[in-house]
Amino acid sequence: MKKQMFHSIAITLTVFILGAAAAIAQDQPNAMALLAKIDANEVYKTISYKGQMIVDYQGKRYLKEFVAFGRGRTDSFVEFLNPEDKGTKYLKKEGRLYVYSPDSEEVMLISGHLLKESMMGSDMSYEDAIDNETLSARYTPALSGSEELKNGKAWILDLTAKKKTESYPKQKLWIDSSTGDLVRYELYALSGAKLKEYALHKAQTIGGRRFPVESEMRDLLRKGSRTTFLMNEVVLDGAISDSKFSMRNLER
Amino acid sequence: MKTNEQKNGGLSALMTIAYRNIWRNGRRTALCVTAIAIAVFFNIFMQAWMEGMIDGIEEVVRTYETGHVNIVAAGFERDKEYFPVQYPVADGRNAQELIDNIEKLPHVRAALPRITSYATLFDSTVKHALLWGIDVEKELKVNIFNLTDRDDGLKDGRYPKKGEAECAIGSILARKMGLKIGDKLPLKTVSAQFSDKYFNPTIVGVFEFDYRKYDEDVIIVPFDKLQKILVLGQGTQQLFVYADNASWSAAIKTDIGALVGKGNFVREWRDNYWVAMLQQSTFLYFIIFGVFQVVASFLIINTVLMVIHERIKEIGMMGALGMTRREIVSVFFFEAVYLSIFGALIGCAVGGAASYIGSLFPLDLEFFTGGGMKDMPISSTIFIKFSPGIVAGGFVFGVAVSAACTLIPSLKSAFIEPVEALRR
Repeated sequence: MKKQMFHSIAITLTVFILGAAAAIAQDQPNAMALLAKIDANEVYKTISYKGQMIVDYQGKRYLKEFVAFGRGRTDSFVEFLNPEDKGTKYLKKEGRLYVYSPDSEEVMLISGHLLKESMMGSDMSYEDAIDNETLSARYTPALSGSEELKNGKAWILDLTAKKKTESYPKQKLWIDSSTGDLVRYELYALSGAKLKEYALHKAQTIGGRRFPVESEMRDLLRKGSRTTFLMNEVVLDGAISDSKFSMRNLER
Repeated sequence: MKTNEQKNGGLSALMTIAYRNIWRNGRRTALCVTAIAIAVFFNIFMQAWMEGMIDGIEEVVRTYETGHVNIVAAGFERDKEYFPVQYPVADGRNAQELIDNIEKLPHVRAALPRITSYATLFDSTVKHALLWGIDVEKELKVNIFNLTDRDDGLKDGRYPKKGEAECAIGSILARKMGLKIGDKLPLKTVSAQFSDKYFNPTIVGVFEFDYRKYDEDVIIVPFDKLQKILVLGQGTQQLFVYADNASWSAAIKTDIGALVGKGNFVREWRDNYWVAMLQQSTFLYFIIFGVFQVVASFLIINTVLMVIHERIKEIGMMGALGMTRREIVSVFFFEAVYLSIFGALIGCAVGGAASYIGSLFPLDLEFFTGGGMKDMPISSTIFIKFSPGIVAGGFVFGVAVSAACTLIPSLKSAFIEPVEALRR
């Protein structure tokens, strides 16, 4: 009798636990889907905007202004406008990054170890700026939980690089559960040491997509350093001439 | 009562006895003299070597690191290992105006503007180097870059011209990167506004300085060109002031401090870490030389003790004949002093000759270090310093230490009772 009763309680409990787990699983999004949504947000034909880069480093502030043009994920052109850097232009084309500097008066290809250097004194490296592939193509995501942030709940995704050559073998992403904004991410080395931190300060809906119009990046290997990125006058899918992404435009 | 004449005559007689005694056993005397001579030679030669090396370090420090007086902004001083360019001297005041004012100060020979900045090279063999922006023309009037050959240090080609996108590179750097005159050297550096600046100068010269660090890491570019690339305006990152004579450095430092005001760091070459450290360690060398001399003196101590033991009957007889204890002690002490003097004289002759010959021929320090001391501001070539002062000092030091060491064993002879001694 006792044995029968024990069995029925065990079966009831198992059914209850499995039911609860299924309900929770239905509530949680799929990790792949979450990452695909982040990638999809960055798909556009063209983009142009005026940008500002505010670098705070060891108690000093440096302001850099630029105009940027992009086409798909592969082509982009950036020209700096602030007096100290006026005339410095970058062109990303076919996975290669070129720079024109008024001091050298010639176009130079940035490659190899130079890609790991800070870009224009910011907390972002050239390598960070020239990724061609989507996160989904480069990383395997896993949902590790959720966290209550200032503006609501955020899902936490742990990304593991598919290739050993990836600059950041591990990443941790916080995705706003309601807007899908990438509100925060952390980049890690293979050893597990945190290398960089990103935080979204302000996002706007432009052309049906969410854009990080104000964000902050910190390179943790640089003591007392922070770079704030501002995007203004964002135009999506506007007409941009092919010549904008040409070598001739870089030298002009 | 003895007259002064008798006293002098007594001393002379004791010295004569002592002198004759040292030849009673020629082999033993030769051994003692040799030991003292080796110690004195070692002291003189090592001191000449050390002084030559210290002179070399001081010369390198004054030429490359500090000048006689060095002026930088306080911010630069805080992060100096990174050579920051965002902290120009006197808040970016016009460098030429500053130089004009400094050169008006008494005893100032010249004020030179310099900029040192890290560069990332496009080459993957050598990834980083130091850009050294100097006014080449003015530098060459003041400084000798190659201490061995006493010249401008150019091995091949020429130095870059003012305002031109040209550079001269160190011989080791050129060899490592496989570069030659006429090649381009693309590089990236970071400006005073913390921006990336790209530069692609043509190599017009290869230099070989005595400071290996420079041969290995440095790219010389015209000061005005680097000033423009790094967006320093009319300012400079550092000022190197040279005096008519290094001894005026302290006075000039005070005058410059008042001229450039607060927020700047004015340093004299003697404040350099390596110079200060070496000056402090000279006392240590003095102790080392002293210990060596004392060890060598053990042979004399041993000899004196043996002589006293051997001549115990003679000591007794000397006492019985009326010699006082002081006179007996004096005989043995003078014997030791004679040995010390002869040893020291030979040591001085050999040490002096060796250091003089060494001073004529430069020694390649890299042969001994294998280039492993490149971060120390030390000249690759050292000249052993020959100085009559060092030779005289070695002689006095050798005689004084050896003689002092023999005083105690000599006193032993004073406590031998004549009757006891004659009975043995």
